[in-house]
Amino acid sequence: MSTPVPRLTLRGVLARKWRIFLTVLAVVSGVAFVSGAFVLTDSVKRAINELFATLSGDVDLEVRSTVAFGDAARAERDPVPFEVADAIASVDGVAKVEVNILRAATVITSDGEPLRTTGPSFGIAWEGPDGLDGRTLVDGDFARGPGQITLDQSSARRAGYQIGDTVTIVGPNGKGEFELVGLNGTGSTSNGGGAAIIAFDPQTANEFLGTQNRADSLYIALADGASRDDVQQAVQAAIDTKYEVITGEQSAQETAGAINDVIDIFGNVLLGFAAVSLFVSAFLIFNTFAIIVSQRLRELALLRAVGASTRQIRSMIVGESLIVSILATVLGIFAGMGVAVGIVALFNATGAAFPSASLIVSTRTVLASLFVGVGVTVAAAVIPAIRAGRIPPVAAMRPELGFSALQKNKRLVVGSVVTALGVAFFGLGVFVQPGEVASTLLLAALGAVLIFLGISSLSTTVAAPASRAISRTLPLPFLPMTRSVAGRLGSRNAQRTPRRTASTASALMIGLALVSTVAVVAESIRQTFREQLEGSVTADFFISNGPQNFQGLPVAFAERLLELPELGAVSPFRGSVALVNGDEKQIGAVRGSAFKDLVDIDLQDGSVESLDEGKMLLHEDPAADYGVGVGDSLSITWQNGTEQTIEVGGVYADSSIAGNWLVGLDTLAAVSTAQPVDFFIGAKIADGVSIDDARIAVEKIAADFPSAEVQNQAEFQQSQEDQFNQLLIVIYGLLIISIAIAVLGIANTMALSVFERTREFGLLRAVGMSKRMLKRSIRWEAVIVAVFGAVLGIVVGVPLGAAVTTALPESFVDRVVIPFPTIISVLITAIVVGVVAAIGPARRAAKLDVLEAISST
Amino acid sequence: MSETATPTLTAAASAEDAFKIYGKGDSEVRALDGVTVTFDVGRFTAIMGPSGSGKSTLMHCLAGLDSLTSGTVRIGDTDISQLSDKALTRLRREQVGFIFQAYNLIPTLTALENIRLPLDLGGESGDQSWIDQVVDAVNLRDRLEHRPSELSGGQQQRVAVARALASRPRIIFADEPTGNLDSRTGTEILKFMRRAVSEFGQTIVMVTHDAVAASYADRVVFLADGRIVDEMTEPTADRVLDRMKKLGN
Repeated sequence: MSTPVPRLTLRGVLARKWRIFLTVLAVVSGVAFVSGAFVLTDSVKRAINELFATLSGDVDLEVRSTVAFGDAARAERDPVPFEVADAIASVDGVAKVEVNILRAATVITSDGEPLRTTGPSFGIAWEGPDGLDGRTLVDGDFARGPGQITLDQSSARRAGYQIGDTVTIVGPNGKGEFELVGLNGTGSTSNGGGAAIIAFDPQTANEFLGTQNRADSLYIALADGASRDDVQQAVQAAIDTKYEVITGEQSAQETAGAINDVIDIFGNVLLGFAAVSLFVSAFLIFNTFAIIVSQRLRELALLRAVGASTRQIRSMIVGESLIVSILATVLGIFAGMGVAVGIVALFNATGAAFPSASLIVSTRTVLASLFVGVGVTVAAAVIPAIRAGRIPPVAAMRPELGFSALQKNKRLVVGSVVTALGVAFFGLGVFVQPGEVASTLLLAALGAVLIFLGISSLSTTVAAPASRAISRTLPLPFLPMTRSVAGRLGSRNAQRTPRRTASTASALMIGLALVSTVAVVAESIRQTFREQLEGSVTADFFISNGPQNFQGLPVAFAERLLELPELGAVSPFRGSVALVNGDEKQIGAVRGSAFKDLVDIDLQDGSVESLDEGKMLLHEDPAADYGVGVGDSLSITWQNGTEQTIEVGGVYADSSIAGNWLVGLDTLAAVSTAQPVDFFIGAKIADGVSIDDARIAVEKIAADFPSAEVQNQAEFQQSQEDQFNQLLIVIYGLLIISIAIAVLGIANTMALSVFERTREFGLLRAVGMSKRMLKRSIRWEAVIVAVFGAVLGIVVGVPLGAAVTTALPESFVDRVVIPFPTIISVLITAIVVGVVAAIGPARRAAKLDVLEAISST
Repeated sequence: MSETATPTLTAAASAEDAFKIYGKGDSEVRALDGVTVTFDVGRFTAIMGPSGSGKSTLMHCLAGLDSLTSGTVRIGDTDISQLSDKALTRLRREQVGFIFQAYNLIPTLTALENIRLPLDLGGESGDQSWIDQVVDAVNLRDRLEHRPSELSGGQQQRVAVARALASRPRIIFADEPTGNLDSRTGTEILKFMRRAVSEFGQTIVMVTHDAVAASYADRVVFLADGRIVDEMTEPTADRVLDRMKKLGN
């Protein structure tokens, strides 16, 4: 072999395997997120597609109402009357027509509580295993008549029922009791992917679910030998054009597609965190290679002296990073499969029951993982490699001459330019928002990345004075540190190699800056939201379907509340979508006369009661956008295609609860025959009734709707905030991973420093420093570096958060709040991080044999 | 395949009006202050002088490891001050060999890999019989697969000598090659270097402050304060020592 570069490269890696192991670990975690995101989405999507393909079973054609716009699977369609089924049954080539009915319904457990599910809870019409849909009978018999149901296996078990038990079910119109005659199944899952499935025979479904002889859609099976295309055309010809005939496959694909979109969002969130942890890893990799290069200064100079070219030295270092990255990427792909399995298991543990799926590692997953894993690692090693190439050969004999090559300092200029560029991009993305949401986000993210890089570069210049300042100010609780030799040494050592201190701290900076950013945005939104709620909620009670259930409340609930003498104003809040002058908008529907007493929408003009006269209200922002005011009209197209011109009856300024668009309940009811549900119901107590009496009356009705949750103002606000907090916990949890990588980075740097200072430590021990003191000084150094990182993080993160907050619409957040408790906990986290990171290196330093240490060169 | 030393008209290396100045004004240090010297092919030359005399700097500049402030350095006919880094690297690889005082070897490579390193870096296979001859001359046959950490100081230095010889460079520069060795091992190394000159016709320039080491050379050049102050042919340790004592004042 006459090519020494690969050999030198490989040996270089092997000689430093433990050092490099830490680097590998950092890359692995980033790649694991990437591959995990892809493996998870690929696997679950295929399982979902298979599930819906199974469910479409023997359905050859499906008939449903058309919609004017919107996503095919999520659109609210008008129901199809049973008569249409009769008309279709007589078409040539049609063997069988079934009604498809699917309505919200809840199982009451044997303990009397509503069964909590992670997915929706449905009542359906099912003609048994011979029916056209692909459901199976797992045990017992299927429901053949009134008073009978089957449940999915998982729900039956969790609700504590066995075949033969009597089960209480809550439907749109209230409770009913049924005998559990069997267990139904859906594809390979023990339940329908987290959904509860309550199956009735079609007639019972129609009565109990209140569908009034109307189906969601009709399933058609072809007669033997009939051509599907011909029958599709014949069926369409036999019915009104407001119904459409599609194939079973298309229907299955649409439904699966809608779920796949949600899975994609989940996957993208994972990819976002992959980006963060890879970015943090890049700093660690950069640092490791920079330190390795300076440690090998003489070796590299010797190679240069005996004739290695600059390029050979560079390719050697880059080659080392290549080996590391490929190793890390392969491990990362496997770890990603673990991540995917873990997430599925986590969801299943909470009852979601993902369809069982084999893990899919696609070529794209491998390529994407390689691309990011190898790309990030090699990119991070490029600068150390270039610097290594600059080491002059004379440094083989006089190492002091070599270090100047490693310390060229143009960082102040470069750092300032990069930071400025980052601020510009970020500002452009956040404030100007050119183009689509995705490109805007990308621009802001790029800006943030540049800011991080720039600040990291600039931080070198302030690392030494900052370390000094930190070691002077921080110790209040550690007072003896500043005066002790150990404390002084730790602090001096942190100042000694500012570049190293800065880049180590930078890795921690990123995670903590993101935490600070999120904290500022979240706290600002939270306080705005709280104040808006306090200002706008005037209702005494809010009734919703509880946080577990996103299906809405049956409208019967609000109707019964209206009859209560203990209550004054009562209004449900319903919703739909419509095109307003061609743009798709969410439209709320309320009872105007009551709503004005329940929610203060800060009316600017007109009247809320005008809603009951068929007019609409809108927020001042869209009013300005469309240039309309009270008395003007807007053209509205509802989803079923009904077009209306509606007069503006009022303009309001507070959209925190009402959203941007409001119509009256009657307006919505008149255009849609779809069965409505209420998102929530607001109610006010009648004059002279105590809140306790009113609550007792409301709870009594709520007993018939067990999933409903009755909340007073304080409880409502608390539950809204709880949802918000849960989201924050997830975000913080994922950012912790980036902080963990930074801990690895600090540990790595400290370990390398200890290695370099072997002689120095030997000397210190020889002149009488105890092991404990030595450990303490290393720990202190790590704490200073970590706190420096935290301070940088806060300095970068808080303004970023403030900028994002300012850029958000005022109706959403109207102030910038700096959450000091979070910032203090960030600092405390940093101290803990420093102490933890120093454990290993400190122990190693203390173990050094004094004599050997002194004689080492 | 030994050749006899046949001095030609061409010098192996030379310096002309070489100045190397560090710093400016009051803090100016003239490490080389107008040095003109020629090293003949097939000769073993020692450069001597007290600490700070500029002997190491002269060697670094001659070897293309460091650059002059002004003046000319030639390796063979090539004016190396005009060379790009790339050409200089190639020159070092093909025409110059090095033996340092310490840290001569790449710790991750075996003895043989270290010996072959300049050849391998240039992508050359080299002359295997020559390498065998060199390996035998330094008596390392049974140590070739060992890493430097598994070799004694003397063995490591023999590997370094073998490496310097392996590519048959025009000239070998040795910087205190025996400085870190005990006297017996040091003598061994010096004898090898002497043999390389006498038997193989190799040109060697050695920086040392050890009079005994210098006595193995054909010629000694004395440096003080960046200038050549004397030279001596056919040196003996006593004569060199005497000369050095005078320089010390």
